[in-house]
Amino acid sequence: MVAARTRLEIATENLANVSTDGFRRIAPRGFLTTLGVTIVRQSAREHGALRRTGRDLDLAILGDGAFRMRDREGRICETRSGAFVRAADGTLRDAAGRTLLGLRGPLRVASGAPVDPATLGLPAQSRLQSGFLETTGVDAIAQMIDVLAAERSFESAQKAVSAIDASREKAADAARVR
Amino acid sequence: MDRALFAAASGMAAQQRNLDTIADNLANADVVGFKGSTQTFAELAAPGEVGLGTVALGTRTLFSQGKLARSPGPFDLAIDGSGFFKLVDSQGHYRYTRDGAFSRAADGSLRNAQDLRLAGVRIPTDTLSATVGTDGSIVAKFAGGTRTIGRIRLAEFPAPERLRALGGAIFEATPDAGKPRDLTPGSDEGPKVRFGMLEESNVTIIDAMMQILTAQRAYEANAKGVQAADEMLRIANNLQRG
Repeated sequence: MVAARTRLEIATENLANVSTDGFRRIAPRGFLTTLGVTIVRQSAREHGALRRTGRDLDLAILGDGAFRMRDREGRICETRSGAFVRAADGTLRDAAGRTLLGLRGPLRVASGAPVDPATLGLPAQSRLQSGFLETTGVDAIAQMIDVLAAERSFESAQKAVSAIDASREKAADAARVR
Repeated sequence: MDRALFAAASGMAAQQRNLDTIADNLANADVVGFKGSTQTFAELAAPGEVGLGTVALGTRTLFSQGKLARSPGPFDLAIDGSGFFKLVDSQGHYRYTRDGAFSRAADGSLRNAQDLRLAGVRIPTDTLSATVGTDGSIVAKFAGGTRTIGRIRLAEFPAPERLRALGGAIFEATPDAGKPRDLTPGSDEGPKVRFGMLEESNVTIIDAMMQILTAQRAYEANAKGVQAADEMLRIANNLQRG
């Protein structure tokens, strides 16, 4: 039952991010252990499809790699969502207010100038596509099926628990007769 | 279970915000100079923790060029390229717009439908007719001949996406958008002023309809997630048979 619950958690979380650009699907992976089934979360490796926006500062990464961002508290994080807005000082920010980092600190671009992929520190075989965004890596249909499957597997587990409970009850009754 | 419930609920809330934005775009699809916006989403997660769903971060205005359509008004102007018309309201505040439907007022100023005045332009009362060149220069025809009587200048912002929309197609400067800079139209690569034309909104109905369909389905999928989480709670509660 715990495993089915975790599966549902993962599926709903993926579904919630069905419109989040650059989101990486969370893939459940099951392990058989002595205590039953354990589900662990893994970030799926496949990338989302590209969506055309026509904005110069919407950047999609073709291939591996991610944009390195720094938030207001100075924490560094990575994202594949490349919807940037140029701030008045020339730095590029995303919707959460994080600043895009190049190889040498925050990246600055002139108005109307393209972003040079070489300054971002992406892997050599990756390319940058301007005017596109990488959409979510979540396939809503697969996640819907997972929601249903998790629900049913939870139900069967409940039946199993009830059956074990019933047989123990019988055993207890039998013991009482003697 | 709560985590699943909250994740699905956060998805529903985000899609609700998404639909609000799309509906606003659709409602303004026929407004001259209107710029559509999109909602941006991000994964909701505390640092080092597993995710908790999604969150709508807010809207982003798309300043892509709208289609230019011929218009019969005497002072209909459109910007072909970047930049804004600079307007002045009755209190002297500057406003910015790409809606160039102006008409001549009694005091010689060019005013739009909201009675905001185009900055720096005055048409003399004895003008018979006037045309505007691609460089913004206003050439007026008088009884005694033609004469250039002024030039329309455009304003440009370092970060136009940070401007605040005041409804319709009017924008207000913000500190985030940076200082407006005068932009002279008519250069080879710069913007041009088109006389006798208006810029339609950059919202396309088909795109908006498609966005509504996807948002609606996403909302539905998340609602199903809430249902499934609820159903699991019910099953768990039924474990203990009376």
